[in-house]
Amino acid sequence: MVLEFFRGSSGDGEFEHIITRSIAMLADARHSFDLATLALLTKAEPGTVAEDIRQTDERINLAEQELRSELVVHVSVKGGADIGTVLGFTLLLKKIERIGDQAKNILELSENNVTLAGTPEAEGLLAERSVLSSLFAEAGELLATSEVEDAALDDFGSRIDELTARYQAEIDGFMSSDRPGREVVPLAIYYRYLRRIAANLLGVVRTSSDPVPHLDYLEDGTVDTDD
Amino acid sequence: MARGRLRAANVPPPVSDNTVTEAAKRFEMPGPVRSALVLGLIYIFLVGVSSLEAGIKIMGQDTQESLFSAAGNPIAALCIGILGTVLVQSSSASTSVIVGLVASGALGVDDAVPMVMGANIGTTVTNTLVSLGHIRQSAEFRRAFAAATVHDFFNVLAVTILLPVELATGLISNTAEWISERLVGSAGTEWKSPIKAWVKEPVSWIKDLWDALGTSGNVQGIFVVITGLIIILLALTFITRNMRQLVADRVERSVNAMLSRGGGTVALVLGLLITIAVQSSSITTSILIPLAGAGVIALRNAYPVTLGANVGTTITALLASLAASSPESLTVALAHTTFNVIGIFLLYIIPIARDVPIYGAEKLADLAVERRTMAVAYVAVAFIVLPLIGIALLG
Repeated sequence: MVLEFFRGSSGDGEFEHIITRSIAMLADARHSFDLATLALLTKAEPGTVAEDIRQTDERINLAEQELRSELVVHVSVKGGADIGTVLGFTLLLKKIERIGDQAKNILELSENNVTLAGTPEAEGLLAERSVLSSLFAEAGELLATSEVEDAALDDFGSRIDELTARYQAEIDGFMSSDRPGREVVPLAIYYRYLRRIAANLLGVVRTSSDPVPHLDYLEDGTVDTDD
Repeated sequence: MARGRLRAANVPPPVSDNTVTEAAKRFEMPGPVRSALVLGLIYIFLVGVSSLEAGIKIMGQDTQESLFSAAGNPIAALCIGILGTVLVQSSSASTSVIVGLVASGALGVDDAVPMVMGANIGTTVTNTLVSLGHIRQSAEFRRAFAAATVHDFFNVLAVTILLPVELATGLISNTAEWISERLVGSAGTEWKSPIKAWVKEPVSWIKDLWDALGTSGNVQGIFVVITGLIIILLALTFITRNMRQLVADRVERSVNAMLSRGGGTVALVLGLLITIAVQSSSITTSILIPLAGAGVIALRNAYPVTLGANVGTTITALLASLAASSPESLTVALAHTTFNVIGIFLLYIIPIARDVPIYGAEKLADLAVERRTMAVAYVAVAFIVLPLIGIALLG
């Protein structure tokens, strides 16, 4: 460990290590999301995935804490020149950690004996799950790219906007539905989690490029993309 | 059009900052060039130490005795060490000056040892001042102030124990002298340091310059001493600044490694290595304060880093002694190292004693949080008022 001081530079950029670990955290969050939604949307037993999801969540939490410490060390050693980047990374890590928490919240629905398997919406929800799951991978790729084309960011952003608008429309529909509460309340809650996860994925990608003061805000701060 | 990664894109700096960034990019110095610059600065630093010695020697014996008569009392010498270090904010600089004074014969080893102990105490003012930057946030300030003052507690306790022992038995100076004799010969002899020969020529240029400006005797001696002091301070400032740039990545990496897997010994060794690399314990300990304030490093883990920094900072005086002509100057530099190593044995290796500085720092931090003005008063009284009183009464 003392030899760490004498080790030469890895040749990576200053924050490459943080980006690499952030992408690993995102992959962990996707793993939790896939398992939790599987337990809710199919007849899979929640108990079989609960331990895996909780361990993955702990791993994400630990990674966030370690990386936060590293960012504080960076500022302490090298001064405030990179403060914008450091604040950006702090927000990015928190968004990934929140996605992990939201996957855990979906698992908790299953653990409370809620299941959406066999409902009229089940097939559509499974398709929706695949779409959102693939966006985790896209977000990771965008995060790994050193220079992201505006078009790629805009395309990702517009697809997420479409998704979140659709999820919100579903939630609004359930709010005024005549169906029994025990049917629509879990669906509304589930869509709410999907909406939050989609918004956080967009936040992860935007954090890597947008200025910190305007992050999560559009149209000169009048539109909050994070609510 | 492409948008950059976090590193490049976040928070576009204002126009003035852009200018600074562009300018910094233009003047980004390659590592090997910076390393060569540091070597050149070390040479200039050694010229400064040798000039100091030469300037004192130009002065008459009576002047030398009257200048340093105050150091005859060990408590006054301790206070001079504290105050001198507070003024230059660097124990590396103050101990190098002490080494130069011992080399000239103006200051004896017995008088110099309390001074280097005082330098140890004085150097902690920098990180205590850094901790005051957190004063508006109670929890943060408590942690930062405790991390800063644990260094004070260690140094004050080490002096409280070791100064009487030194005065009664000469433990530190005798140990240092024993090592020094084995390395360069007995006290009172002329030590043919090769480095001394390398710096001889520039020192004679400085003397010739003041000669050409019409000075002589004591006046010339004073100007040569002042020139030496300025060279030492400037060279050390630039050495520290450049070394910090050179080793910043290593420091960051090793602090991260220490935080994730390190124990006390690793922290101590890393504190030592970082301080040797940047030639300043203040830099090492000042990096720790924001980390402690943010809660990234616990007081118990920060403590051994400061102890390593205490030993690491003695390398500068050892380096300075290479440019001196008497074995006594090396003895004083070694006494500084010996004092810190014995202090670590007494106040860190022994588990019960290890808790004393930590407990003291925590209690002082609690008091400082309750009364913020007390924190400012502590700095003023401990580092300025008390040393001044000591010098006035005993000097």
